[in-house]
Amino acid sequence: MIKKTSIILFVCALAVMFLASCKPKPKTTPPPPPPAKEQPKVEKVEEAPAVKKPELSEEEIFMSKSLEEINLESPLKMIHFDYDRYEIRDDAKSILEADGAWLKKYSSVKVLIEGHCDERGTEEYNLALGEKRARSTMDYLGSLGISPDRMKIISYGKSQPLDTGHAEMAWAKNRRTQFLIIEK
Amino acid sequence: MKRVTMKKILLTSTLLLFSSLVLFPQQEIYLTLKEGVPAIAMALPNFIAHSPSPRAKEAAVEIHQVISDDLTYSRIFELLPKKYYEYISLLDPKNIKFKDWESIQANILLAGEISEGEGENIIFEGKLYDVKGARFIFGKRYQATKSLYRLAAHRMADEIVHTLSGEKPIFTTKIAFISDRDGNEELYLMDYDGQNQTRLTFNKTIDYMPAWSADGKKIAFTSYRKVGEAGLYLLDLEAGKIVPISTRGTNYSPSFSRDGKKLAFCSTMDGNSEIYVANADGKNIKRLTFNEAADTAPSWSPTGREIAFASDRSGTLQIYIIDAEGSNLRRVSFGGNHNDAPAWSPTGDRIVYVSRVENIFDLYILNLRTNQITKLTESNARNESPSWSPDGRHIVFASNLDGAVQVYTIDYDSTNLRRLTSTGSNKLPDWSN
Repeated sequence: MIKKTSIILFVCALAVMFLASCKPKPKTTPPPPPPAKEQPKVEKVEEAPAVKKPELSEEEIFMSKSLEEINLESPLKMIHFDYDRYEIRDDAKSILEADGAWLKKYSSVKVLIEGHCDERGTEEYNLALGEKRARSTMDYLGSLGISPDRMKIISYGKSQPLDTGHAEMAWAKNRRTQFLIIEK
Repeated sequence: MKRVTMKKILLTSTLLLFSSLVLFPQQEIYLTLKEGVPAIAMALPNFIAHSPSPRAKEAAVEIHQVISDDLTYSRIFELLPKKYYEYISLLDPKNIKFKDWESIQANILLAGEISEGEGENIIFEGKLYDVKGARFIFGKRYQATKSLYRLAAHRMADEIVHTLSGEKPIFTTKIAFISDRDGNEELYLMDYDGQNQTRLTFNKTIDYMPAWSADGKKIAFTSYRKVGEAGLYLLDLEAGKIVPISTRGTNYSPSFSRDGKKLAFCSTMDGNSEIYVANADGKNIKRLTFNEAADTAPSWSPTGREIAFASDRSGTLQIYIIDAEGSNLRRVSFGGNHNDAPAWSPTGDRIVYVSRVENIFDLYILNLRTNQITKLTESNARNESPSWSPDGRHIVFASNLDGAVQVYTIDYDSTNLRRLTSTGSNKLPDWSN
């Protein structure tokens, strides 16, 4: 690489020298340039005329973001469950309908549905329960017309509580399914 | 601790059995160590350092302490109170005065000596004597550097228990567990007594539910290391390699058969939580249960012919046993509505499991011979994930008894509760074979 560059440089130098030698040589030395003024003229710096970016569609804005950025915005809202249950609650249905609408809008998105539980089940039981919660969430979205090919489920049991408290307030938050966008 | 005063009849009978061992070792007559039988009185006087160096003295103290703790934990031996040794002359390893030791009611005597070894090493020599029979049983010599004093002591204690009881000793066994002490849930190991806690996995995701292979060389565990997967992996401890076994769906609750041939686990690969059986290397996965309910937490019988597991097929979560080929299903738990995490004892006659009532989890032992159930833990806490020691006398489990979830051990008869961990939260312990 270095060798190549130096050869190119050498050739360029030769060419410059050749051209220079072609110029007629000045007979006299030019007069020295006038000394620089101590206070040069003030030049106003103006902004170059702004380039107007084309307007991005929502879709384009979405595609310009990374998966991480999209997930940080959590466009899909989590839902909660009753103690020891995995049926979709009435209050969760409207949330899933909004989630479903979003998934229809961004039809290339694939999503991971994670099932979580509160601490009041054994480790093994909670893994099975979290899986059931994720499945019922997937089934509900499926009934809204979302293709099962776009959804994957997983259970975390009780290993990932949102709230590490030990009372109903915390438990209610922890019994949930939440979404992770894994493809767009 | 039980009292030293032993019933004369029992003392005589144990001594007789012991003499049999010495006279006819080929017949494999061992001390019968039944539950409720008083422990064997053992003299463990301070070890003698044959060198004035501080390290020899340190080694003498440390090794003596570890052996003393091990043998006390075994429930087989009962160490004589130290003050008894003041009644007799000091131990002279070259000239054991058996009558002296008999006079303070010792059945067995361990004489330990420390001398200088090569370089940084010390040499520890332990000799075991039958006091009544006035005879030498066996001796062992170990050369070790400071960091291995504990291991040398555990090896000696293993030899003592194995020679006198014929049982599988536990002092060099390990407990695998999950800890979040370094930020997120990772796989860790520790000695049976909670010493030498060591981290095994290093990643930013959750590692979960470890289970030992029968030979103690591998650990199967669940890991969320790949996005969207709760895979079951196999860690080869000697090669330091991790290979996936099953990654479709949520895969968990691994359990190796004690003959080293099979691995059972749970998976939702076919949609519902079912039990699968693979070869011990994770190959040749076959489905064992076919049911709409969730089947979880398999545990092999010691013969490898049956598997205990939990299922909510009856509407409540109960313990079942099924033949390893998938036939002959029967329910074995009836009380309560949330019984989970069965662990089959290495002796084969018992299953320890978790029973939940509201937010309280306690451990229960089901005796398969008598169908009797005994409550092992009694606390206002969540005690779960039980696993037996290989001698069937102790159970390791996780509990939030002291706040954060920690790993504890307890003896089969609800005595001797010990906490083994304290940094971060620690759970899902599994005791090696």
